[in-house]
Amino acid sequence: MHAALHLEDWQAWSAAQASVAINSQHDISTNPGAAKLPAMLRRRLDEVGRATCEILKTLDPEASCPLIHASRHGDATHTLQMLEALAQGDPISPTRFSMSVHNAVLGVHSIASRHHRPLQALGACGHEFDALVCEARGYLTEGYPAVVIVFSEGPRPAAYQGHAEYPESPCAVGMRLTLDSGRKLLPHDVSQSARPTPLDVIAWLNADTPHLDGQQRWQLEER
Amino acid sequence: MNETRDLSLELKRLIIDTLELEDITPVDIDPVAPLFGEGLGLDSIDALELGLALQKRYGIKLDAEAEETRHHFASLNALQSLVEARRVD
Repeated sequence: MHAALHLEDWQAWSAAQASVAINSQHDISTNPGAAKLPAMLRRRLDEVGRATCEILKTLDPEASCPLIHASRHGDATHTLQMLEALAQGDPISPTRFSMSVHNAVLGVHSIASRHHRPLQALGACGHEFDALVCEARGYLTEGYPAVVIVFSEGPRPAAYQGHAEYPESPCAVGMRLTLDSGRKLLPHDVSQSARPTPLDVIAWLNADTPHLDGQQRWQLEER
Repeated sequence: MNETRDLSLELKRLIIDTLELEDITPVDIDPVAPLFGEGLGLDSIDALELGLALQKRYGIKLDAEAEETRHHFASLNALQSLVEARRVD
């Protein structure tokens, strides 16, 4: 039996809505990243990247937690642009190439925040939330008092329409997890696994939905 | 003289657009200040990006490893001299 995970705090962002969390304390939807990221670093991130950094900074202000960032598709827009350039025999942008790794956003955040703890970026074919929780548990079991996980998805390139599962709009959600402080996360078996997006996670944290289905069914302990 | 000033502004805009310097306007770029490190504060990736932009816009090919490239990128004025001397458009 694993020790239970606890949710200490969370933050959310959506490109489509001015406020995405019912309690504004959990919302960074207005102008993400503008204040906290230095301009020379900020310019290399798109909106969802900036929001991810803002969430990380808000949930880990002292840069003391391991950080795990998941995105199913990553920065597909720029990856596709580079592939199209290559297909046409055009040179690709060195800046875009340098940012075309899954851990690029965490890298920018770590430079901006002087963060020297473990960083991990992952994609899991729709099972990002379960993977984030699994990895977070590993760091907590190793003795870290808290871990911050962020799950984000950028805009869907038009060419991917009908070929890839995406949330309705770009979005990001972050959670600070511990083993002993906050609301307990209760895992249950689920008959059919689902592939939740960040918007599904936000709906669950807002208590718009009673549970979150992934590879397990997640419930939050009543306050 | 006008042509020189026009090219200076053109290069400033090229730098701002190519390097996505969203908080910088042409008047913020001092023609004699360093572009990299100090001054404008560009980095090595910006140098590659700028090299590619010069090739696309003016047909100027630079060797990224050459010491003279460092000299051409020292300031906006140095960049302008390079473009005036080597543009092929």
